[in-house]
Amino acid sequence: MPERWITALHTDDAGAEDAAATRERLRDRFPRNATRRMTRLGIVLGSVLQPLEPGERDALVYASTHAETHALEDYLDSFPTPSPTLFQTSIHPSAVQQNLIQRQQPVREFLPLTGGADLPALAVTAALLSPATRVILCGGEERGGWLLDAGHASDRTFAFALALSDEPTGAIGKISIQPTDLAADAGSLPLPAFFDLLRERRACDLTLRPGRRLVISWT
Amino acid sequence: MFAPPIHVAACGAFTAHGDELATLDALLGGRVALQARPVLGTAGGDLVPIALINGHDYDETLSAGWLDILQKLASRIPGEGWGGPRKPVFVTGSNYGVGHLLAYRRHGDSAHLDLGTPHGCVARVAAALGWGPDVTTISHACVSAHIGLLQATRMLHAGLADEALVFSFDFITAFVAGGFHSLKILNADFPEPYRDRPTGSIGLGDGAAFAVLTRDRGDVVLEGQALHNEMHHFTANRADGAGFADCLAGLPAVAAGRRVWIKGHGTGTLEAGRLEAQALAKAFPGAPLVSWKGSLGHTLGSCGLVELAVALAAMRRGRAPGTVGSAAPGFTPEVAFDGFDLAGFDAVVCTANAFGGAHAAFLARHA
Repeated sequence: MPERWITALHTDDAGAEDAAATRERLRDRFPRNATRRMTRLGIVLGSVLQPLEPGERDALVYASTHAETHALEDYLDSFPTPSPTLFQTSIHPSAVQQNLIQRQQPVREFLPLTGGADLPALAVTAALLSPATRVILCGGEERGGWLLDAGHASDRTFAFALALSDEPTGAIGKISIQPTDLAADAGSLPLPAFFDLLRERRACDLTLRPGRRLVISWT
Repeated sequence: MFAPPIHVAACGAFTAHGDELATLDALLGGRVALQARPVLGTAGGDLVPIALINGHDYDETLSAGWLDILQKLASRIPGEGWGGPRKPVFVTGSNYGVGHLLAYRRHGDSAHLDLGTPHGCVARVAAALGWGPDVTTISHACVSAHIGLLQATRMLHAGLADEALVFSFDFITAFVAGGFHSLKILNADFPEPYRDRPTGSIGLGDGAAFAVLTRDRGDVVLEGQALHNEMHHFTANRADGAGFADCLAGLPAVAAGRRVWIKGHGTGTLEAGRLEAQALAKAFPGAPLVSWKGSLGHTLGSCGLVELAVALAAMRRGRAPGTVGSAAPGFTPEVAFDGFDLAGFDAVVCTANAFGGAHAAFLARHA
């Protein structure tokens, strides 16, 4: 079964922070005026992705259930004259693209996933199956507006980025998918819970898929 | 560099022409499914070229007409227990049920909301098709299907699965057509065909498809699955064509000793079309290049799998359709406008591109 060493972890928990406050808090991480054109998720994701300096040979796995909620809301509200800018920005996986396009940084493998309560398990599986020497597993959400009121958006803003290596040098933890009894009951680990687990560096041993456990340990 | 070869045990599709065999017949007959429709549906707007599958209303309805189409397609998938142990499902698309969010915003019917998010949409599809919980949803615009095929391949080669189902769909709504139209890249002169002319010529179409992958069963093999992401611009490629070239770099070695034809992405975007045709001509000199989006429309996140199903049907039939819905001049001499006999060919290279300068390609050949 696949496993990798965790060599770096960055998180940003903006929670219910106002969008303008997030922009102000993180603007120095980006080129001058760049955050004005970025989504809230793009900003928090960029703040955790940049320190890892993604390179062309890295594989990048991205997980977000709701993605660019505000751009989507605003795009929908732009009808009957739909906005070309909001159309582009609302497309999953724009948060990563906003950042890498800003840096003009190509990547060979970019695997954007979406989903519900099992999204982290699927994203980890995709990361562990990549043949790249280094895999960056990142993700996040932004707090929604009217879609949150309708119960279809995240209620908090957050982002994480993990560097996963096939070498133990400098490791701060280990992540793996292990076999388990096919009949074992599968639990649930939605993206916000996975984020909290990472942020608090809690160990994890959960059956999340039929026959597969997600195991995370920290040194 | 590449994942080892993987077998295709079954592959099928629906387009506005019908299933993959009906689609092949239509393409070989030179028929165009695109029709001029108001971009905003019942709300009106400019006429743009759109090809809808019979049974799908352009304005989203409850119950969702597209779900019936997916159930009809899924009835052709061999085997049972998909989404259960060792039989993972990879759902790939671009828009999923997002048209229902627009319907909700227009009409306020909250029943649309559950279909409007990707996970809500896929959960509804999974329930309707009786899938278990092992369902991965991939969303990378128009290279989504290629990524699904690659992830399924990796699961199989890692020994985590015995068979894998890749299932792909995209149904056109005012949400997406309105977005493309706002970018001014739809064919404003339709039915003027796709050709090397000063304006772009995209049409959009519904598409749905499936493929069952196995390690050792099936008469077709996929290999050389390649990805590259330029990250240069949201809607433009590097002017030097490096993104196309980087994605294709390893494929000539995979194809060595084989005579290939190429099913390109070929949306009708002027610059991307020129760069793609030039990169393919350089990587595979003399290999005939076709695109079918001038007939089917661009089926977005499903296009990689829809067009694979049609390409495999063409391989079995022994004749490939030309670049239907287009006209000379082409971007390179390799662009094939007419259908051609496949007796002398060993394999097809299939490519797809997406927003953000994303590229994907693989080679399909007889096992």
